[in-house]
Amino acid sequence: MKRYSDMEYLRLSKWNKFVYKLVSFLVSIPLGIGHFFVKIWKGIKEFGGKVAAECKDIWTTFVTGDWKTKLSFLVMGFGNLAHGQILRGVMFLLFEVVFIFYMVTTGGYWLSKLDNLGDKGPESVYNAVLDTNTTVFNDNSFKILLYGVLTIFFIIAFIYTWRANVKQNKLINQILKSGKKLKSGKDDLKSLVDDQFHKTLLALPMVGILVFTVMPIVFMVLVAFTNYDGSHNGYSNALFTWVGLKNFGTMFSWTANTSAGLQSYSATFGEILTWTLIWAFFATFTNYFLGMCVAMMINKKGIHLKKMWRTILVMTVAIPQFISLMYVSKMFAQNGLLNQMLMNHGWIKQPLPFWTDPTWARITVIIINIWVGIPYLMLITTGILMNIPADLYESAKIDGANAWQQYRKITLPYMLFITGPYLLTSFTGNMNNFNVIYLLTGGAPTNAAASGAAGSVGYTDLLITWLFKITTGGESLYYLASVVGIMVFVVVALISLVVYNVLPSIKNEEDFQ
Amino acid sequence: MASVKLTNVKKIYDKNVVAVHDFNLEIKDKEFVVFVGPSGCGKSTTLRMIAGLEDISEGTVEIDGEVVNDLQPKDRGIAMVFQNYALYPHMSVYDNIAFSLRLKKVPEDVIYDKVTKAAEILGITEYLMRKPRALSGGQRQRVAIGRAMVRDSKVFLMDEPLSNLDAKLRNQMRAEIILLRQKLDTTFIYVTHDQTEAMTLADRIVIMKDGFIMQVGSPDEVFDMPDNLFVAEFIGAPKMNIVRTKLVCEGGKYYVTPFGAKIPVDGDKGKALAARNVKSGDVLLGVRPEHIQLAKAADHAIPCTLVVDEMMGSELHLHVDTEDGSRLIVRVPTLDLDKEERRALVAGAKLHITFEGKAMHLFDPDTEKNLLT
Amino acid sequence: MNNEKRHMGLKTLNRASNTVIYILLVIISVIWLLPFVFIVFQSFRVESTWQVGYVIPQQWGLQNYINLWNSDFKRWYLNTFIIALASAVLVTVIQLCMSYTLSRFRFKMRGPLMRFMLILGMFPGMLTMIILYRVLADLGLTQANAVPGLILVGVASSGMGYYVSKGFFDTIPKSLDEAARVDGATRFQVLYKIILPLAKPIVIYTILTAFMGPWGDFVFARYVAMGTSAGYNVAVGMYSWLTNDQINSWYTTFCAGGVIVALPVTILFMCLQKYYVEGVTGGAVKG
Repeated sequence: MKRYSDMEYLRLSKWNKFVYKLVSFLVSIPLGIGHFFVKIWKGIKEFGGKVAAECKDIWTTFVTGDWKTKLSFLVMGFGNLAHGQILRGVMFLLFEVVFIFYMVTTGGYWLSKLDNLGDKGPESVYNAVLDTNTTVFNDNSFKILLYGVLTIFFIIAFIYTWRANVKQNKLINQILKSGKKLKSGKDDLKSLVDDQFHKTLLALPMVGILVFTVMPIVFMVLVAFTNYDGSHNGYSNALFTWVGLKNFGTMFSWTANTSAGLQSYSATFGEILTWTLIWAFFATFTNYFLGMCVAMMINKKGIHLKKMWRTILVMTVAIPQFISLMYVSKMFAQNGLLNQMLMNHGWIKQPLPFWTDPTWARITVIIINIWVGIPYLMLITTGILMNIPADLYESAKIDGANAWQQYRKITLPYMLFITGPYLLTSFTGNMNNFNVIYLLTGGAPTNAAASGAAGSVGYTDLLITWLFKITTGGESLYYLASVVGIMVFVVVALISLVVYNVLPSIKNEEDFQ
Repeated sequence: MASVKLTNVKKIYDKNVVAVHDFNLEIKDKEFVVFVGPSGCGKSTTLRMIAGLEDISEGTVEIDGEVVNDLQPKDRGIAMVFQNYALYPHMSVYDNIAFSLRLKKVPEDVIYDKVTKAAEILGITEYLMRKPRALSGGQRQRVAIGRAMVRDSKVFLMDEPLSNLDAKLRNQMRAEIILLRQKLDTTFIYVTHDQTEAMTLADRIVIMKDGFIMQVGSPDEVFDMPDNLFVAEFIGAPKMNIVRTKLVCEGGKYYVTPFGAKIPVDGDKGKALAARNVKSGDVLLGVRPEHIQLAKAADHAIPCTLVVDEMMGSELHLHVDTEDGSRLIVRVPTLDLDKEERRALVAGAKLHITFEGKAMHLFDPDTEKNLLT
Repeated sequence: MNNEKRHMGLKTLNRASNTVIYILLVIISVIWLLPFVFIVFQSFRVESTWQVGYVIPQQWGLQNYINLWNSDFKRWYLNTFIIALASAVLVTVIQLCMSYTLSRFRFKMRGPLMRFMLILGMFPGMLTMIILYRVLADLGLTQANAVPGLILVGVASSGMGYYVSKGFFDTIPKSLDEAARVDGATRFQVLYKIILPLAKPIVIYTILTAFMGPWGDFVFARYVAMGTSAGYNVAVGMYSWLTNDQINSWYTTFCAGGVIVALPVTILFMCLQKYYVEGVTGGAVKG
């Protein structure tokens, strides 16, 4: 594609400018993605380099170190203890003891079973006491996977700590050489509220995230490579085990998913993904623009009772969503309040198919989402609108811009510039907006061709509600849910990547900061 | 009261962006040193490294002979005044000034004495119970200084303390800082981008550019003997006129030949050139606007055309174009002109200018170093 | 003369557009408030079936509220309240620790950490429900004991939601921290004596949102309670009233429950509205 210089670009016609920008944008998407992979590759190389440097450093520390240093390669914290840093030394030693104890007693067992997630499933054994066959549970695949992952986390933590222990020795030698004093345990404790305060602050939140977010995600990603489902629950009926990429194959093959002639998973996935994107687009932008409209109406000079209008809308934010959503869902039902009232007045003969017709249902959820979202967007945009420097409008008025032009040329670019990142998170948030869809329609109306072993699928189902239905549906195909979850991640990551890498380049010209 | 010594100090951001290169400086006890330079030259970074607010990438900082690289800011015996004052908005003026003393667990009656004494010196006694947002810019500045004063610190650091004030207030506060310095009698390190502040306040000026020290010297030294072109242009306002021209050596005497004129380089400057055995060739000739005089048409007077005249009150800044199109600035004291002469100075007027050899600065066009030092 | 005419024209035009805006605002207010007015009316309706084609009850009474009192609703309400209270305290502490650190400290792992959490946030949280349920089950924190389980899970992962308060902390000038450190404060003292007093709006915002969140928490709460009424929160419990076989006998009770749930939260919210608006407009956008 031809690149124009700035001067050439300025001479293009309006239409050509638009085309040029569009083409640049489209071209930059693969470039941006390519750039991303180059970055990743560089990151990997850098990481490799770092590991090599670390290993070398460990080696030189060992070779050049005295006997104390050498011994602390085996007995962690020995260097610290030998130099009177009791607190550090004891902490290291304690960690090592706990680690070894854990590995010997249980960790080793989980690790050894990790290769095929248990060998011996539940079996029927003759029980002499009861004189009958009872089921004896043996290995537990779920626990093996869970504790296996935890053990691996623990090993990584141990390697990191061991490395820190080696570094300590190097540091001690350096400090002693330069003639300074080593930090005492008291100094260490003091620094926890001072120069190391960030570690203190982060400790608790990070442990929480590690155990309750990272670990479950790692676990669930691994599930996508197993056959974990309702009939292989890993304990009481049958063990599950590694199946490689088979589940991805199931998801993306075009063959029907059961003998009943239902459509394939990939077709279902495609349909739901399309609707998810459409939904996210409309849910984000209708709210955004209408919320901005309302905010501007209230903000307009000469409108009285600004606070009252705002309060009326804001009040609806306070009411827990499940109440309003469930109530409105029933209001729009086939025999709900709205249809009844309309029929009582004789305005309609048949109830309107709000939740029974696919198109009606889709439009209704979007409209109700507007009702849910506008107050919040009104609040956000009000704050930004009031921050737009008044002199921009004054100078535009003097330049002869009318109200619409002022909006188009000042308000909108400013808003988009400031709220760009918010729009992105809001878009991805809407893709995963479980509550609105689940509480309003539960996915209904049912899409018969798409429903199957993985649970019933409806026309308003998002990927996220589908995922939920798969896990809770008749056969609890956890592995399939995991594949869907990974796909959601991929889609969200791709969108974010494109927006983050490409948007700034076309945003440059509207620099308001 | 303390000396400060920086040895090979370096600041490197994110592996490859070097903000300060190899900074070496010894600041004597009770000296007032000003770091000056354009924005991004590393002056603030250097100050913040002394304060302990930035890590020192390489080299050492010593205060009073003790290496302070690994010390927290509070343990370095420094006090600091920030550009935007950094007053704690939720505390009254009294509490702001008392904050550091309370952290040190000084008894309240001692705190009272110290704070009221500082407030008295700075003339803010009547505002002690106010919150910072109820103060004017100048008053906030005083509170910030007061907060630094009560700490009895060894070194007083000031990071562009006057740049948020309007011009009039700035001049007033500048004078007060000089007074303050006499009262406190301690070591000062002061950062500014304003060469006037640097010249008026400093015992020694450190001029920086792109992380390098360009020159260290007293105000007189940097003004009269700039080490290089950058310092020559940076110090003095309006800035020095620079013209590319030829240096000619005839029979042991040196001449410069700007705009067709031939002006001898005489006095000490000529001797200096001879002593260094400088050859004929291209040079950059610098003359300060105040060293150029209006003249009658004469042998080595340079003809030129007046483009803009700026009346500054006590003096007149004339922007003139020479015949080869160079733009020069000439500073003429208003008192030197009679009415007739003043009236003749309108855009388009033909003038002649001249300057003396001793007022000239000569720079090597390649290295931009001063040829005379 | 002419000038005056044009002036008048401008004025009338302005008045006309203002009138249109007033009409629109009234319509908007009605649309937004009406469903809630309906709920209140129906909560006082004695004739207790779902499908009636009118809003204003034919017979008024407190029957529905008495029904509520006699049902498990008390337990659900207490459960939710405990969860809300606990998270208001714990979530606030965790989020403030996280956001303050990421806003103020520049340590080696800061960038990677933030990127890592951004990526983590792209995984659908729904996915981890199964395993979190199993972990809680192993700890004995499901069904009747769901409350501590829900608190644990809710609090543990709340560090991920640091964006809003970090945006606020970023607006407090860093030179305040530096001045305080030069003045002799430790990092802890900087946080305690300087930043926290200034961060009052965002602290209140965080407490408020952390308190309001559990009232609407639905999916995971239902999963963890697993059909044991004693472990329900209000959302899960009331959801069970609107299933097709329950709705005819419980619909009006649901409305009454809605009023009882919404009332305290709304009042609290209205009192602290100022801080909420400040948090939303300040922090949410900056991210």
